[in-house]
Amino acid sequence: MTEMNYPRLGEKLYRRVLPNGLTVLVAPRPGFTRKMAYFVTDFGSIHRKFQLEGEEFTVPAGIAHYLEHKMFDLPGRDVTAELAELGANVNAFTSYDMTAYYFSCTEHFEQSLKLLLEFVSTPYFTEESVDKERGIIDQEIGMNLDAPDSVIFEQLMEGMYQKHDIRTPILGTTETIRQITPKNLHLCHRAFYTPGNMVLCVVGDVNPDRVAAMAEEILGQEQRPVAKKCPISAENLTCPIAEQSRKMEVAMPTFQLGFKCRPIGTGPDAVRQEVIGDLAAEALFGESSPLYLRLYEDGLIDQSFGGGFETVDGCAMLTCGGDSHNPRAVRDAILAQAAVIAADGVEEAAFRRMVRSALGRRIRDLDSFDSTCFRLCAYYFSKFDYFDFPAVYETVTTGEIRDFLKEVVQRERCSLSVIEPLV
Amino acid sequence: MIQTIQLMPGVQLRCFPAERFKQGCLSFQFLRPMAREEAAMNALIPAVLLRGTEKRPDLRSITLHLDDLYGASVGALVRRIGDYQTIGLHCSFIEDRFALSGDQVLAPMVGFLEELLLNPLLENGVFFNHFVQSEKRNLIATIESERNDKRAYAAAQMLKKMCAADSFGIPRLGEVEQVEAIDAPTLWAHYRKILRESPVEIFYVGTGKPEKLAQWLRPIFEKIHRQPVFLPEQSPFRDGGGGDHVQTMEITQAKLVMGFVTPITNRDSRFAAMQVLNTLFGAGMTSKLFMNVREKMSLCYSIGSGYYGSKGIMTVSAGIDAEKESVVRSEILAQLDACRAGDITAEELRSAKEAILSGLRGVHDSPGSIEGYETTAAIGGLPLTVDDYRRAVEAVTSEDVMAAAASVTLHTTYFLKGIDA
Repeated sequence: MTEMNYPRLGEKLYRRVLPNGLTVLVAPRPGFTRKMAYFVTDFGSIHRKFQLEGEEFTVPAGIAHYLEHKMFDLPGRDVTAELAELGANVNAFTSYDMTAYYFSCTEHFEQSLKLLLEFVSTPYFTEESVDKERGIIDQEIGMNLDAPDSVIFEQLMEGMYQKHDIRTPILGTTETIRQITPKNLHLCHRAFYTPGNMVLCVVGDVNPDRVAAMAEEILGQEQRPVAKKCPISAENLTCPIAEQSRKMEVAMPTFQLGFKCRPIGTGPDAVRQEVIGDLAAEALFGESSPLYLRLYEDGLIDQSFGGGFETVDGCAMLTCGGDSHNPRAVRDAILAQAAVIAADGVEEAAFRRMVRSALGRRIRDLDSFDSTCFRLCAYYFSKFDYFDFPAVYETVTTGEIRDFLKEVVQRERCSLSVIEPLV
Repeated sequence: MIQTIQLMPGVQLRCFPAERFKQGCLSFQFLRPMAREEAAMNALIPAVLLRGTEKRPDLRSITLHLDDLYGASVGALVRRIGDYQTIGLHCSFIEDRFALSGDQVLAPMVGFLEELLLNPLLENGVFFNHFVQSEKRNLIATIESERNDKRAYAAAQMLKKMCAADSFGIPRLGEVEQVEAIDAPTLWAHYRKILRESPVEIFYVGTGKPEKLAQWLRPIFEKIHRQPVFLPEQSPFRDGGGGDHVQTMEITQAKLVMGFVTPITNRDSRFAAMQVLNTLFGAGMTSKLFMNVREKMSLCYSIGSGYYGSKGIMTVSAGIDAEKESVVRSEILAQLDACRAGDITAEELRSAKEAILSGLRGVHDSPGSIEGYETTAAIGGLPLTVDDYRRAVEAVTSEDVMAAAASVTLHTTYFLKGIDA
């Protein structure tokens, strides 16, 4: 495997692309007991239209997540139980643009890795088991309908986007999941669970060559075709709905505010855009910004307030939110402050301090196995080496931050999603 | 391994030297009895301390200072550990070797902690009133927003009903009415009393030398005229409440929470067996509850059990369709009966033990989990090191699990359902 060194972070990364197309990443952690493996496909809830072997398909909303649930079945075997006996803690999640299967363990790493590679690469669905899962996913959907955080974000996406599939909940709805069958699950597996569309990432005290050799042995040498996702049509940057509110069983009003940004694509330039977005969020409403202090002192926001720059295939946004008795006043204050920064710029010394702080937090975050594994995978799909982040932070300029805020933080780019208490 | 240094009577510094992390971690906890009359005041104090000091009189100057310290974080810490409520501050910061050459982070962090603890911004000799009032509002909002997470809300309601006569029924952050009653002079007097009397636990993980840390920390406490008052030992569950309770709310999914009692606490030699029972019965994706109520019967998405070792309480909670309540309830009890009857396969036993062992083997892999395990054990009266605990779990047999299951009895149930259900 190719070995790369990042002395500044005290990190190493081994990397290899196998003949079957799978990329394997290993970040060693000598002296640690825990080992973590992520096996991830570049396929999420928004990838509902694609071409495979010349034919075009549209699949029901919620299928990526449904597939994630069903991958744990193998004929006559219970993978979860087998992993549990090895002491491995296995789980999975589906996001808008990826599906990840992962485990963490302290012993029997190779046996656990073998199982992970086997079950994710082996589709096995029966009418009966697919039907049975529906009851469980119905309850998961019900749980989300009662969770203010997910309702408020889904409402925000409806307010910000006209066409993009981010408007549809990751889980789909009780109606759409009734269109899911063993047949379309097989189709999605064939389309997106091919090694060329996936990455295997391991963090821990393991032998990198063994990881690559095992992946090659279990997944085979053959390169299979990967589906072509239908391009996401570009959207107008104006938000279709400026403001929405609904009532729920919550204690006090809570809000999410989103500003629509240009999609950023992939590669180093995209990552630079992302860091600019992050730092701009810090400069505008981060905890050490003048605006944050003022809003907090005035009682318009509390500790629940937070935000940042988010990207999903085909969309990007600056968001913030939390509990507030007056979300509209928070929105107006943010718009006004952005206008001030657009006119006056960001002070150089303050900006350097912000960068140092952001870098320090990122470095500390490397102690987390979960976060490191997740970021290595997510940045891999963005075609960027995650451990190269310090150089990006250090070269961003105050001018870039000002230009970003000037462009993005505008009334027509903005949508507000509010949940109010019932009484 | 841990090095314990008594800085003075009632002030313990525990250090876990570790070279392999990118960050260090330092926590300060004052130990208080969990009591209705002071829970809210205790919970409010760290938030007020974090609002401003004499030298840095507002949030912005504090966050700018933390930015200078490479994005260090200082957070309020309010824990319930058995009969105690611990309050204080929790800090994480990069190790000096990742700072620009010559820059230090650990030493200034300790200095900053002293500033937060001993030199808060005052007004007329007591806490600055504006900070107290605004943090009261925040604390009330936090307490009230527990309703937003229906699962946590239902679990807390069940514990209140179950522990009417035990400190475990007192909410960790106190009640809204108690927060409302606080004023700056009372809070300040209470904080002075805490500084003077409360036992203090300081925990550090990182590359700093324990002797060096002790040398920096001791003077902080020498500035206070300490008259430590020690707390009574942790006590087992005191029975008082109970019953079957139903509440309605405008929600889609109903929540069923069941509370069980066992005489086995974390001070008991059967503790490891009780942990294995809890895991085998209801924690994780291979537990009896998950495999039967969810996977076999498709009755729920989330179901799980939890065991509070300091008290000997086990809870089960499930998000379900309201109509299915009685089916779910009887299936949960049937699965517990199966454990009592010894209907436990070798695989189930091994998986449950492995899940706990794997967690224990990984405790020392992050500063946060080291701090969490070690301080909770030291304060909560768990007399086991991580290695002792592992050995105890390894030795658990299915007979031990059966005996633990036999010790468990249903005490209280709480059912939260939709208005139309």
